[in-house]
Amino acid sequence: MIPYLLRILVKAVVTIFAIVSVTFIATRMSGNPIDTFLGDGLTAEGREELIRYFQLDRSLGEQYLAFLRGALSGEFGLSFVDRRPVTEVVAERLWPSAQLLLASVVFTILVSIPLGVLAAIYRKSWVGSAVMVIAFAGYAVPSFILAIVMILTFSYWLNWLPVVGNGTALHFIMPTIAMSGVLIAALTRFTRNAMLDVLGQDFIRTARAKGLGEARVVLRHGLGNAGVTVISVIGLQIAGLAAAGSVVVESIFSWPGIGQLLVNSAIGRDYPVLQFGVIAVAVAVVAINAVTDIAYALADPRIRLARS
Amino acid sequence: MFRLMLTTAIAALPYAASAQEITVGAANMAPYLDPGRDHSNVGSQFYYNSFDTLIDRDHTKLEPEWVPALATSWELIEPTVMELKLREGVKFHNGDDMTADDVIFSLNRMMQATFPPYVVRAKDRLGNFTHAEKIDDHTIRIHAEREEPLWETLISLQQVMIIPEAYTKALSGDPEVAEDSDYEAFALAPVGTGPYAIESFQPGEKLVWARFDDFWGDRAPLARVNVVQIAETASRVTALKTGEADIITNLAPDQLSLVDSDPNLKTEGSATALFHVMIMNQNHPKLQDPRIRKAMSLAIDRDALNEALWLGKAVVPSSHTMVEMGALHQPDLVTFEYDPERAKALLEEAGYDGFEITYDTAATYYTNGLLAAQAIMEMWAAVGINGKVQVRDKWSGNDPEMMARNWSNPMYFADPFGSFGVMWAPNGPSQSEGRFNTDADYAEKWERFRFSTDVAARKEAYREVMERVKDDPAVLPLYRPFESWGMKQSVNWAPMPGHIPYVLDFRAGSISLADS
Repeated sequence: MIPYLLRILVKAVVTIFAIVSVTFIATRMSGNPIDTFLGDGLTAEGREELIRYFQLDRSLGEQYLAFLRGALSGEFGLSFVDRRPVTEVVAERLWPSAQLLLASVVFTILVSIPLGVLAAIYRKSWVGSAVMVIAFAGYAVPSFILAIVMILTFSYWLNWLPVVGNGTALHFIMPTIAMSGVLIAALTRFTRNAMLDVLGQDFIRTARAKGLGEARVVLRHGLGNAGVTVISVIGLQIAGLAAAGSVVVESIFSWPGIGQLLVNSAIGRDYPVLQFGVIAVAVAVVAINAVTDIAYALADPRIRLARS
Repeated sequence: MFRLMLTTAIAALPYAASAQEITVGAANMAPYLDPGRDHSNVGSQFYYNSFDTLIDRDHTKLEPEWVPALATSWELIEPTVMELKLREGVKFHNGDDMTADDVIFSLNRMMQATFPPYVVRAKDRLGNFTHAEKIDDHTIRIHAEREEPLWETLISLQQVMIIPEAYTKALSGDPEVAEDSDYEAFALAPVGTGPYAIESFQPGEKLVWARFDDFWGDRAPLARVNVVQIAETASRVTALKTGEADIITNLAPDQLSLVDSDPNLKTEGSATALFHVMIMNQNHPKLQDPRIRKAMSLAIDRDALNEALWLGKAVVPSSHTMVEMGALHQPDLVTFEYDPERAKALLEEAGYDGFEITYDTAATYYTNGLLAAQAIMEMWAAVGINGKVQVRDKWSGNDPEMMARNWSNPMYFADPFGSFGVMWAPNGPSQSEGRFNTDADYAEKWERFRFSTDVAARKEAYREVMERVKDDPAVLPLYRPFESWGMKQSVNWAPMPGHIPYVLDFRAGSISLADS
């Protein structure tokens, strides 16, 4: 188990380093904050002055070395825009995003695992078909459409739910559902397929033959074994959502999260915020993947033993 | 569960209980708040409630009418020296008394700037002022290099609003010295003398104003104002409907009916004191013949753009002036017009062979910018110009390959110098980016316009400058966009004609709430 964990750790560090380096170079090749942000009414002389002030006159190599040196000592620099330490800027945005992500994951699991199991058991009746239609619809409808339809219905017409920010529990309802739509669709389908696989196996027949109740067969033997696949899907999907999926939803609901921050920093070429934001998200994604790997190993001894 | 929902719902009710508290849903929240270094449309919304200048103007009036603010009186004691008497008993939001030293510090941080963001702002508009000096505890003098026709105008700029010296210097490092890091820290914890103190500020997210009880002037009408960023237009409109916001900013023309159709809501708007313009590169090898650029300009039917994109509510100018500029506004002067026949003739004369002319625009930066660009391509095609829209999010005004693109020329203060003058001065931004040329003749005309102390002489010189622009065009002002705010019926607020664009003025007399 220990060498297995070490390998995961080394892989994680290399991945993060690669992501950060690519981000560093890509952002600097696509323009600078002076030209994109402060273009209006700046003389060439003033432009030079600001470029010097933000230390963008140094060569790419020099900037990269300075960045690496800083990063190793935990210094990630100041935002170009509001001149606060980027760690502070990013940190205050991480928690709201994490809350929304957590709410979405819990909601997704609560909804899609029962749905997937139902769809597997009743695969030949209308119940199974109905579940799958809903799941495909969830796949096809982008989160921003779902969000706007909900806003129109529950806020604009009915005036039941608030649309701005993350102040109260009520604020979580629409963003959570909007974030979960695609996830629920994916997880329901995976749960159904995994269950179908497992339910067709010999040991299920044995379990039934032993005279176990159907509920126990399905939940204990069926779901217990399908769980391995389901866990890996959950991990992958959360990682994807953490990296990109929240941007649109956060923007629509004015959710003060990391997605909105990254988009604005990319548009304004606020390199330090962008770099550290990407690092933070990369660490989160890599960590989720690592946790998935470990959970996977714990759930299935074959993996654990084979890899160590 | 239901009880929980009920209590959270009540907690979420946006301050409906208190009649003196409102929430503003803003399309953008500033990333920092320092009136000195800022001249953005986003930042301009927020300074007037919290900061004062020495001289202010009556913002209900279009014509400049100067009124005392932190200075109670002022006079020119020499042609280049103004003496101002300071108001006594003024307090900053942090409790400090405002002294002559604070005023000198605030003015000289700009007039003798060393902090690069100040240097940049000070050069284009405050360049004629050398320094401010303290005479006694209640008297100061401001020195100019040359005779200044725009004393009051320039002393009432947002960039020379007054901030506290000791507080600012103590923000970082040595408390006796003004370091760059002090100014950076100030921009996150700003303190002024205005009727609303900035109680909390989360950059790019939220701002809370609280009434400042020790304000020297009329008491602020609102106890608290929460400004929250709601970036999405649909979310802003919904927030207004649900009552989460009392006022929302930046409503696009096609959304006005959505708000106006609700009996509880209304809209207020005005043609913003800002031109959306088309710029043309005088130095692009293919555009050096002015006849080609004239044709590009004459081919554009700006009234049609106004009707189609702004429902006729924008203002199409005949020269680069605005009604806010008082005596210098010249509605009879026609230097920009629509004449497709003449455009065709000029193209033929110049031997235009159908080469492609590119027009750059950002996808969303200017409201209707992309739509206008596409319409302009059709108008160009009608006279035989082969145009192509290039959507780029990067500023291309300094790119030698740039042929034409959109831009904006805001009115930073109510004078042609505050709009055309900032952007198109000799050695100003346009020339230094390499797309606009000036010569000795242009510079001479510009000098007369900028520094003549006789209004008629300035007016005549500005007309001559406009004629030069007409003969060898590098810019076409398209229109003044129409900007709207949505609000509850119970809110009495509207943008005032005497302000620069976008100012949210919530001072006494500027806003009131009907009892509901």
